[in-house]
Amino acid sequence: MPVRLRLAVCLLALLLAVPVFAQTGSPAGMAIPATTSAINSPTPLSQRVVAYDMDAKYNAKAHALDASETLTYHNLTGQPLDTFPFHLYLNAFQPTSTWMREGKREGTRGQDFKKWESKSYGAEEIKSFEVVGQGDFASQLQYIHPDDDNKDDRTVVQVHLLKPIPPDGYIQFKIKFHDQFPETLERTGWNRDFVLGGQWFPKVGVWWHGAWNCHQFHAYTEFFADFGVYDVKLTVPQYEVVGAAGIEVSSLNNADGTKTVSYHADDIHDFAWTASPHYLIYNDTFQGSMGPVKLRIMMQPGHWSQVERQARVLKESMDHFDRWYGAYPYKTLTLVDPDPGSQAFGMEYPTFITGGTTWWEPEGLHLGSAEAIEHEFGHQYWYGMVATNEFEDAWMDEGINQYTQIKVMDSMFGASTSVLNLWGITAGERDLARVMYEGVADLDPMAKNGWQYADSNSYAGVTYGKTAAMLLTLESVIGEDTMRQAMHTYFLRYRFTHPTKEDFLKTIEEVSGRDLRWYFNQAVYGTQVLDYEVLKINSTPVDWYKENLKEKKGQTEYISNVWIHRKGEFVLPVDVEIKFDNGDKVRQHWDGQDRWVRYAYQKKAKIESVEVDPDHKIQFDRNNFNNSRTAEVNGAPARKLTNYWTCISQFFAQFLAWWLV
Amino acid sequence: MNENTNLVSAGAGIAGRNKRYVVWFYLLNLAFAHFGAAAFNDSAHGVLDHSLYADKLLHGFNLAVFIELLARPEFGALPSARAPAMIFGVVFFLASLLFMPGVLLGYASDHRLPRDEFYRACGRNVWRFVRLFLLFAVIAGIIAGILFGALNALVTAADKTSNERLPFFTQILGTGVIFLVLTVIRIWFDLAQTDVVLRDQHAVRKSVAAGFRKTRRSLGRLLGSYVVIAIVALAVLVAGILLWKTIVPPSSVVGAFIVGEATLLLLLATRFWQRATAVAFYVREMAEPVVEEARPIPIFAAPVVP
Repeated sequence: MPVRLRLAVCLLALLLAVPVFAQTGSPAGMAIPATTSAINSPTPLSQRVVAYDMDAKYNAKAHALDASETLTYHNLTGQPLDTFPFHLYLNAFQPTSTWMREGKREGTRGQDFKKWESKSYGAEEIKSFEVVGQGDFASQLQYIHPDDDNKDDRTVVQVHLLKPIPPDGYIQFKIKFHDQFPETLERTGWNRDFVLGGQWFPKVGVWWHGAWNCHQFHAYTEFFADFGVYDVKLTVPQYEVVGAAGIEVSSLNNADGTKTVSYHADDIHDFAWTASPHYLIYNDTFQGSMGPVKLRIMMQPGHWSQVERQARVLKESMDHFDRWYGAYPYKTLTLVDPDPGSQAFGMEYPTFITGGTTWWEPEGLHLGSAEAIEHEFGHQYWYGMVATNEFEDAWMDEGINQYTQIKVMDSMFGASTSVLNLWGITAGERDLARVMYEGVADLDPMAKNGWQYADSNSYAGVTYGKTAAMLLTLESVIGEDTMRQAMHTYFLRYRFTHPTKEDFLKTIEEVSGRDLRWYFNQAVYGTQVLDYEVLKINSTPVDWYKENLKEKKGQTEYISNVWIHRKGEFVLPVDVEIKFDNGDKVRQHWDGQDRWVRYAYQKKAKIESVEVDPDHKIQFDRNNFNNSRTAEVNGAPARKLTNYWTCISQFFAQFLAWWLV
Repeated sequence: MNENTNLVSAGAGIAGRNKRYVVWFYLLNLAFAHFGAAAFNDSAHGVLDHSLYADKLLHGFNLAVFIELLARPEFGALPSARAPAMIFGVVFFLASLLFMPGVLLGYASDHRLPRDEFYRACGRNVWRFVRLFLLFAVIAGIIAGILFGALNALVTAADKTSNERLPFFTQILGTGVIFLVLTVIRIWFDLAQTDVVLRDQHAVRKSVAAGFRKTRRSLGRLLGSYVVIAIVALAVLVAGILLWKTIVPPSSVVGAFIVGEATLLLLLATRFWQRATAVAFYVREMAEPVVEEARPIPIFAAPVVP
């Protein structure tokens, strides 16, 4: 082709392309702000894809909100985009939604939905939907249901643009919407005069692995979004005490008895807020390795006596994470103590978490507020910064967080007392994690979409319990220091990104320098159950055939046999410790490949006891009671329990007779 | 207060002179609970006897390990262990119903009641006591149902306020009120039972009416006495739990047994103290001496004259 002709063709193509992209692609001045006022960093920390600018007015009497949202989207997908899906989470709280169907089937957070109540109704209604440069698309929005065939689910809406935006181009959506909050469900909504605004605005999906990833709101999973900048103005009655993600920029009283509080946040992927007239505020500061973090604890008046305990737990948690995994880079963290009786306790949003306590919570009970604070703060790392896809890999969010929770809680309160240490009754986080898992051990693998688990018990038992137990066990395989280094590397490498399960697993393999596929294939991708048992033991005198044989301790020689049985399908090398009645101990290492193994000894001593995994490295053996066997009966534990049971029975009988006779 | 004190101490005197009843009932209680715990005992021994992991339950009480134990299929379902305990609890209640007439007669007697008189009183009054129980169950059931319903509504209303402590204290206060109301009904029927036994009253409705009248007239004295004893019972329970927690090492099965059983024995004694107080009140206020008038029932039927 002649040069002139080629130039002409190029010029023509350029002329044709300009109207296509210019009107939609990058209107002048459209960009994602590179602000850093909300982080302890001179430069942005994430590759910012979105910028939300929202102005919301909350009607406290109606528990409703009217807002305008300007979303600027930066197309970093490397290809033109002409379709955008948006989450409309609040539409989940309607009788025919997928969330409600799943919740009704499984129950969710104390709600069984036996009867529909109007106060459970929530809605997110789009009033107008303007694509800058292309017009209003409100009438062309389509509800889609990518995860199931529920045509009545309205938690994801999709818009088709007239013209695509080019790679690296920008697009701006101007959306006006109306929210109706439910009485708190799934940690969003109102309770009396309290409100928690979570999942409250139209949020764009994530372009991930060459496609849009925008799942419907499910009963257990809800999080996946792109990083960006948030500027939010909240207008509420002046009597409200307000808290939100990010930093507070200003608070101005309006003439109509309302006030407008403005917030700004950098490098986060969600924005939540709360308001209540009753909050009491406790301010503190945590000195993190990237700079000071302003802590704002919003307490219920009746819980004020516990505020210092809450601050202590929060700061200790932050300190552990800072030292072990990496720095918390934001300038603020808000901890909310939600309204008592609300279903808003224990939830994570970037730089904003809810705990929850009671006025009577004793020091030795860590299961309530301390555990919630640690857990939700941990999500600042595993969800907040390392922003995995909770819909598809819930274990990477909840489970990894459960593992680090066990490590931190163990460090703070002791391994066997980290949940409960009260009146002689104890419980540790790691024990409870295993208990959660044991009942559902063979139902689902960890690597599974969150909404496809057998039931809520399986979801909780596997994503929380099994993940934590399998990582604790892995820690014993590769060493605690190596595991911590691997977690640290994983955090630094994948913070402000959306890593996959393989990213995590390969990081552990890389840092440990070991091929761990054999372990991951069973633990992460499989449903194999681990259960070793001491099948039987015996010790027989070598001279058993002699008449009038008199056995003498230390003199009679015995042939002793030990059978170890792998009852489950999970193959894991284990140590076995055999103790003899002369004090000798023998350790065996079994690769676990066969279904059983027998060890035989000839000694002037009988076997006293045998224990599989004597160092208690394995955290997800389904039955720990059969991991050991003693030659002699020790009836004391059973007698102790029976004694308790008898006392309780007697008390019950006396109580009955006291009142009825 | 003085009258109350006198009544309470008179009751204590009667119960103290007849300690054997408390001991016998306690032994019955223990025996039935032992039978009721047999299934639990077998299950626990089956899982724990050869396991080193069981040490976590012996040296301390690891709640997670206990939950694991209950979840083991070889341990058996908890309801299957709970059912015998409940059944034997009901059996103890029936035994109490059966033998209580003898106890009341013994309490009213100024001498040690011979065994045959004790059993005769039991046999003679068994159906009367069953009828009294049914009447009590209906009256107390209806009143308790109404009161608990009202309390539930109150607590629900309190729950709607922003004061988190209000529902709790409403519950406590309401439960206290219900306790007092049920105690009044219990006093009424305790007096009715005493009347049935000591008057050898066939028509239990007359005893119920007499019990009601006397309870109404002397409500303060009787309720005060019962509440004082109930407070002693609560103190016994709290002291027992504190003692168990502070002085009994976690691994001491014998120590826990002794403290637990001593507490339960004393708890049972407080209920007998209440019954003795009712008898003391009855003897003083309601009846002529009747024990002497009680005639033995002929063992053999009278000859039929053709």
